[in-house]
Amino acid sequence: MSNIVGIDLGTTFSALAVLNGIGKPQIVPNADGERLTPSAIFFDEEDSELIRVGVEAVNSRHLNFERSVRWIKRHMGDEKYHKKIDGKKWSAVELSALILKKLKQDSSVEYGEINDVVISVPAHFDEVRRKATMDAGVIAGLNVIGIVNEPVAAALYYATTREVCGKVLVYDLGGGTFDVTILDVKGHQMDIVCSQGDHSLGGIDFDKEILKILERSYKQKFKSELINSDEERAKYEDEAEDIKKTLSRRSVAKKMLYGPAGNMKVEITREMFENEISSLTSRIDMLLEVALEEAGVKPSGIDKVLLVGGSSRIPVLQQRLEKMFGFAPETTVNVDECVALGAALHAGLTKLREKPEEVPAGIAASLKDINLIDVCNHSYGTICAPIDKQTGRRVIANRIILKKNTPLPCEASQMFYTMSEGQTVLESTITQGEDTAVEYVNKIATHKFELPPGRPANCPIKVTYRYDLNQRMHCKFEDIESGKVHEVDFCLDQNGEMTPKDVKKQKSKKLKHVKVE
Amino acid sequence: MPVLLILILILMPMAVMAFLPGSGGRFWIARLINHFKFSRKHPVSRKTRPCQSTGFSEQPDFGTLNCRARPTKQGTEDSDTIVVEICGTIYTPGDGYYGVVEVSLADVTDQTSEAMPVHCSTKQWQGMGSEVFCYNGDIGRLPEGAARLLDWTAVAQLSIDWLVFPRKGKIRLQLSASILSRKSGEGLACAQSDFIYENPKFGYLDMQENIQQTKSLAVALAFAMGVADGKLLDCEIELIKSWARGNIDDSQISKRTRRKFEKALDKTVAFFRRGNQVDVNEICRGIAEIAPLAERYDILELCMHVAGANGSVVAEEMTVLKKLANQLEIDSDRFRDMMGRILPADMHSVEDAEVLIGVTSGMDKEQARHCLNKEYRKWNARATNSDPQVQNQADYMLKFIAQARSQYIG
Repeated sequence: MSNIVGIDLGTTFSALAVLNGIGKPQIVPNADGERLTPSAIFFDEEDSELIRVGVEAVNSRHLNFERSVRWIKRHMGDEKYHKKIDGKKWSAVELSALILKKLKQDSSVEYGEINDVVISVPAHFDEVRRKATMDAGVIAGLNVIGIVNEPVAAALYYATTREVCGKVLVYDLGGGTFDVTILDVKGHQMDIVCSQGDHSLGGIDFDKEILKILERSYKQKFKSELINSDEERAKYEDEAEDIKKTLSRRSVAKKMLYGPAGNMKVEITREMFENEISSLTSRIDMLLEVALEEAGVKPSGIDKVLLVGGSSRIPVLQQRLEKMFGFAPETTVNVDECVALGAALHAGLTKLREKPEEVPAGIAASLKDINLIDVCNHSYGTICAPIDKQTGRRVIANRIILKKNTPLPCEASQMFYTMSEGQTVLESTITQGEDTAVEYVNKIATHKFELPPGRPANCPIKVTYRYDLNQRMHCKFEDIESGKVHEVDFCLDQNGEMTPKDVKKQKSKKLKHVKVE
Repeated sequence: MPVLLILILILMPMAVMAFLPGSGGRFWIARLINHFKFSRKHPVSRKTRPCQSTGFSEQPDFGTLNCRARPTKQGTEDSDTIVVEICGTIYTPGDGYYGVVEVSLADVTDQTSEAMPVHCSTKQWQGMGSEVFCYNGDIGRLPEGAARLLDWTAVAQLSIDWLVFPRKGKIRLQLSASILSRKSGEGLACAQSDFIYENPKFGYLDMQENIQQTKSLAVALAFAMGVADGKLLDCEIELIKSWARGNIDDSQISKRTRRKFEKALDKTVAFFRRGNQVDVNEICRGIAEIAPLAERYDILELCMHVAGANGSVVAEEMTVLKKLANQLEIDSDRFRDMMGRILPADMHSVEDAEVLIGVTSGMDKEQARHCLNKEYRKWNARATNSDPQVQNQADYMLKFIAQARSQYIG
């Protein structure tokens, strides 16, 4: 039987956890013996087939910026992003696959074959980014049996290792993203109430603010720029991260700045740092308030706040949480590892649901009582042409059919009507987003539904969306009069996304001939 | 004075287009009325006995049929109705006649011209092939010889919502009621009476004229927007001219009229280029009075495109846009929505929290928090849009909202 594995593919660090024989998840250290692997890639200068992933890649970035990649997760789903190395173009999916390949490779040494995995993603990741993450897993030679939201994974680990009861708010501030998830926990019964996320708010954004202080201080003293190359920037980005970590432990951090106009010692206090990040903390507060509004609870209705992600260690953030909720947040679980550990548990649950015969008895016994009810992470709708009540004009608008945060599995229907006489084709677009304005929602698929000829306008068409436990969507278009039905399982649009066939081709072409260290 | 001049310059060619060249408006209206007058199903043209016309205050002659209209409120304030009543005698040639009452209305306010028909907004009471109002309803079996109604008896209740009058304001309406044989359609009796009605809505003739006038005013307003930053740029002129041609010019008009139209536009450009200004308040008031909301949206959109024609919006232009939105009675949410689409935040030379996110200095902390959270929720959902432009706009807005929160809430 193959191992049951969970992977936290993070913006700054990644981790892999495996379920042991009695269903307890444990982190598998990498080849360097580290429990976390930096999500950094470096293409070796001497050997074009050698790609370094991890600490060595982080350090190499200071020497040759052009051949290194960090924070690739922020580009997931961006079809236009490419890193060009030695004439080859590497997409965000392929680069992520290199990180996954390294994790798989390192853990295989001790645990043998790694196949079935669940990879965690930020709760706010849309379908395109989720699919891109799964594709990265496939390219890396993994069998991706599911995707789990990072805060859900963290909560799963937390609730199965601690005595928890009540409303829990998971505060997941990682390297590149911030998610807030509110869930009801009663023993091993976990009901997700809602998730909210900010895609560009994480540790690296705090680092950038510190970097601004460094650059400003240097310029004030020497009237000269501190940073003059990408390599220098890479170096000071890491220095800034170091300062941030120091400021989580001490009230002052000191650094030497070696710039072109001279050297200087800089002291950054917590207060300076807190002032600099005030707009980021405002954003965090807003996301918390929005999540609470969506869940229909006041801060006093939250029983526990669970911290997840390295940046949740920042003292001012913990103080603000304590002020908002009236109690200190929970810091007993390892904020860096709990997502991978929870993802492994989720992999066990998925496997138990889909192929129970392949789950070892010890694991099955351990997981059998856990019941997790997740929610729809986004709203799904379709494009229609209603009449604007204010103007009386027909407008093109997005109409939401399946609302965000509906418990899974879920199904919702709405009736639409044909627009013109003799209409024989209905172009149905599946959208993802919260807006009414079509320009602000993602069109994730378009299908043509053929209708019988010779009919008047206003024939009813029932549209039903169903979202299953594996977070896949099924759409049904039903022509009420003729009884004709058109059913489609969700698949991505022709936006350059890889089909399964392409994924295999990519796998054989690029990753087969490279050595990941 | 300046506004008068500019309107004369612009309205002159518009007027020519609205009312056929050389004919004058009245002639055009008269032709319209004639068209309706001779429409096939107009009840007045049916074969009937001579009608008794009864003024509202006159004593009815019970030897013939009399009719009257009684405007009344029905339940709520919004549902005005006109109750049609008849009294007097209906003569029938024999036994077994079932009668129907047919009711029509015409605007006879202007004694110098012919009656103008009243239109109907619902198909049920429209005459065949036209929009003219024509109601009919069963009145049951009529006695042989003569049916005599000694009291005023209601035979129809007309909802004001069905009726589209030619003109707004106080109008004199002529009610025509005919009693016909249900089987043969033969006219048995008919009557007419006039009554006064205060129409609060624009009539169909008003609306046709308003459309032209609104477009003229829109052009004036767009030029005023163009000079808001002190200079009228070529790109702004071209944008306005193109809008004017697309909206006002008509392929049916003569070359001469078209030349006049272009000349008027050029004169308008010259007027503004000389540094002249117009009273924006007065133009907006004029538009708000006559234009429906949809047209006011179009005008504000035009002005936004003009403001952003050179790729950026300066503070003076922003001030004018805010003023226009206010005076054209466009609500702030819609205004900000339009701004977001047409003039995204990165085009603004000055970041105005009220325009971008709807926060005003008059709000208390809770109101500001509510408003900011709403905007944050909206833009955060857009931040993962597949269109990079939308993504950039959302990132910009999220940073701006966060800064505004630090400023307004702390």
